Amino acid sequence: MPQGLRRALVAAAVLGGALLAAPAAWAAEKPTAEDCLACHADRDLKRETPRPGRPVSLFVDGAALKGSAHGGLDCLACHTTATAPHERLPRVRCADCHAAVPGGLAGGAHGSRRAQARAPAPTCTACHGTHDVRPAAALSIDTCATCHAAQVRQYRESIHGTSRGRGDSEAATCRSCHGAAHGLRAKSDPRAPTYHLNLPRTCATCHADPELAKRHNIAVGAVYQLYMDSIHGRAVTRSGLLVAANCSDCHGAHDIKPRTEPTSRVFRASIPVTCGACHAGVLAEYVQSIHGREAARGNAGAPVCTDCHSAHQIRRTEAAPWQLDVIRECGTCHAESLRTYRDTFHGKVTTLGLARVAKCADCHGSHTIQPASDPRSTIATANLVATCRQCHPAATPKFTEFQPHADPTNRARFPGLYYSWLFMTLLLVGTFSFFGLHTLLWLPRSLAERLGRRRSGAPPEP
Amino acid sequence: MSDPGPYYFRFNLYHRILHGMVIVSFLGLALTGLPLKFAHTGWGAGLSHALGGPFTTGYLHRLFAIVTFIYFGLHLGYVARLVLQRRPGVFWGPDSMVPQPHDLVQFSQHVRYFLGLGPRPRFGRWAYWEKFDYWAVFWGVAIIGGSGLLLWFPTFFARSLPGWIFNVAIIVHSDEALLAVGFIFTIHFFNGHLRPEKFPMDPVIFTGRVSEEDWRHEHPEEYERLRREGRLAGVAADPPPLWMRNFSRVVGFSALAIGMILVWLIIMTALG
Repeated sequence: MPQGLRRALVAAAVLGGALLAAPAAWAAEKPTAEDCLACHADRDLKRETPRPGRPVSLFVDGAALKGSAHGGLDCLACHTTATAPHERLPRVRCADCHAAVPGGLAGGAHGSRRAQARAPAPTCTACHGTHDVRPAAALSIDTCATCHAAQVRQYRESIHGTSRGRGDSEAATCRSCHGAAHGLRAKSDPRAPTYHLNLPRTCATCHADPELAKRHNIAVGAVYQLYMDSIHGRAVTRSGLLVAANCSDCHGAHDIKPRTEPTSRVFRASIPVTCGACHAGVLAEYVQSIHGREAARGNAGAPVCTDCHSAHQIRRTEAAPWQLDVIRECGTCHAESLRTYRDTFHGKVTTLGLARVAKCADCHGSHTIQPASDPRSTIATANLVATCRQCHPAATPKFTEFQPHADPTNRARFPGLYYSWLFMTLLLVGTFSFFGLHTLLWLPRSLAERLGRRRSGAPPEP
Repeated sequence: MSDPGPYYFRFNLYHRILHGMVIVSFLGLALTGLPLKFAHTGWGAGLSHALGGPFTTGYLHRLFAIVTFIYFGLHLGYVARLVLQRRPGVFWGPDSMVPQPHDLVQFSQHVRYFLGLGPRPRFGRWAYWEKFDYWAVFWGVAIIGGSGLLLWFPTFFARSLPGWIFNVAIIVHSDEALLAVGFIFTIHFFNGHLRPEKFPMDPVIFTGRVSEEDWRHEHPEEYERLRREGRLAGVAADPPPLWMRNFSRVVGFSALAIGMILVWLIIMTALG
C-alpha cells in the first residue's frame, strides 16, 4: 500500500471513529456509576503520589457506596468534574452540599486545626468515611478512637465506659462532655464545656440530678450543689480560678472510677495523693503525721483528707463553722477525748458556737499531728508551754499541768480530782436529800398551820 | 382585810439593799452561768444566744461576779463595823448568825413537830434554816467566788499554783453553783416564800417590815424577848406603803419565776 493511501485510510478511520464516538464522548462527560466502576471496581487501581511507594488506592467499593448515606447519589454529585476516563480529579468539597454542618466546623478544634493546617487534623472522611459515608447517628466511640486511642482506652475502663458497656444508656460518652464533634472545642478554649471553669456545669448536666444518683446508686446525690457551695466550687465559678479543683482534678476525666475501686483517684488510700496534687505542702506534712503514717500502713481508721474536710463540701478552715464542726469529726474516733473536752471550759464554749477558745487542732495541730510521745508533737512536754501560749501568753510550766482531758470519775488517773468530785457530789446529794426531806415533812404541817390561821380569822400575808 | 396590827422592822435598809444585790447578782450569775454548764442542751444554747452568745454571756457573768464580790465586801464591812462598835452578840447570843446549841435543840423539836410529836418550836430572830441559808451563801460566795477567780485569771494563779488546780476549780465552781442554784430556787424559796404559811411570797426582805402577827408566828421568842425588854418601840415601823408592796411583788415574783424556771430546766435535763 502506497504511503499516501495508508495515511488517508488512517485519517478516515480516525475521523469515522471520532464521528462514531461522538455519542460516547458525550456520555463520558456525564458518566454513570457503572461507567466509573468500570475502572474503580478494580481493587488494585492506584495513583502514585509524590511519596514513592505510598500510592493512594482508587478502589471504590460499589456495594458499600450503595448501602451508605450517599447510596442514592451519583458519583458526579461529589466528583462534579469527573469524566470517563479522567485525569486526577480535584478534591471533593463536602461543604458544597453540607455548607452548614451542625455545630459549625470552623469554631471547633477539629475544624480550626484543619484551617490552620496543623497535623494531625481530621477531615470529614476520617470520621464519616469516603464512599461508605456514615451519618452522625451511625458513628461510634470507635470513630473517636481512630485518633484519640489512649483516651478511649481509659474511658472504656472508666465507670462511664463500663456502664455503657453494660447497656446503661445514661452513662456519659465522648459527646456528653465534649459536645458534638463538628463544633467541639479543646478544653483550653474558654467556650468549651470541658474548659476548667465550665466543667462543673458540664458534669452537672447529669450529676445535679438526685434522681439520676438514686438510679445509679451514687452515694452523694446533691453533689453539684454541695460542690458549688464549697471553697473549690466558689473559687472556680465565682473567682474564676484555674488553679482551684474542678470535678476532673479529683476524679480524673476519661479514667473516672468509683471510689470503691482501688485504681480510682478517690479510692480512700489514694485521696491524700489526689489532694496533694495541688496541696503539696499539706501532703508533705500529712505523710509524716501519725494520721498519715497510720493511713499509709493500711489502718482503715486513720483519717485521710476527706474525713475532716469532706469531699464536696470543703469549707474555709479559717471560718468558725468548720472549726467547730471538725471537733465532732475528731470525736468520731477520739470519743473519750471529746467527752472529757466537753467537760472543760474550752469544750463548753465551742459547743455554744464561739471558736475563739482552744479546739482540738489548736493544741494538737492538724496536718502535723503527732502523739504526745513524739518530740515533734505540740503536746509533747517540752512544747506544751509554747502551745498554751498561743492563747495564754503568760502561760508557765505550772500552767501546763492543767489536764485538758481530765475525767474526775477516774480515780486511778486523777485521784485529786476524783476526791474533789466525790466530795462535791456527796455534798450535793447530802444537802438536797436532807432539805428535800425537811421540806416534804414541813409541807403538810405548814398547810395545816395556814388553814388554822385562816379559821382563826387572821388574813394571810399578800 | 382585817387590821394586821402594828408593824415592826425586821431588816434595815442596808440589809435590804445587800439582799437586793444578792438577788440581782445571783440571778444574773445563774442566767449567764447555767448556759455554759448546760451547753449541750437546747435550752442552754438558746439561753446563751438570747443573752448575746457565749462571749457576751461570759462578760455579763464576770460583771455579776463583781457585784457579788462587792456585796460580800460590804457585808464583811458591816460585820466589822458591828465589831468595832463593840455591839454585843455578834458572834454569840440570840441575835447572832453563829449556829448554837439551841439551834440543834430547835431542829430536833421541829422534826418532832413535823411528825406530830410535839408543838412548833418558838424560834428566835434566826431560825436554824435561816442560819443555814446565810452560811450557805457565805460559804458559796467564798468557794464559787474563789474558784471563779482562779478560772478568770488562770495564768496569774499558775505562777504559784499547779495547773491541776484549775481542773479542781472547774468541778468545784460548777457543782457548788449547781448546789447554790438548786438550793436557793427550791429550799430557800420554800422556806422563805412558798410554804403555805407564807405563800405566795413573804415581802419582808423588800419592805423590811413585818406585821406583829407574822412576827409572833415566825419568831415568837424574839418578839417576846424584845417585848420583855421594852425594846418594841425601838423597832416600830409604819405599815409598808403601797408602792413598796407593789415593788416587792414585782421583784419578788420575777425572781421566783426566773428561779423556778431555771430549776425546772435543770431537773428536766437531769431526768433526761
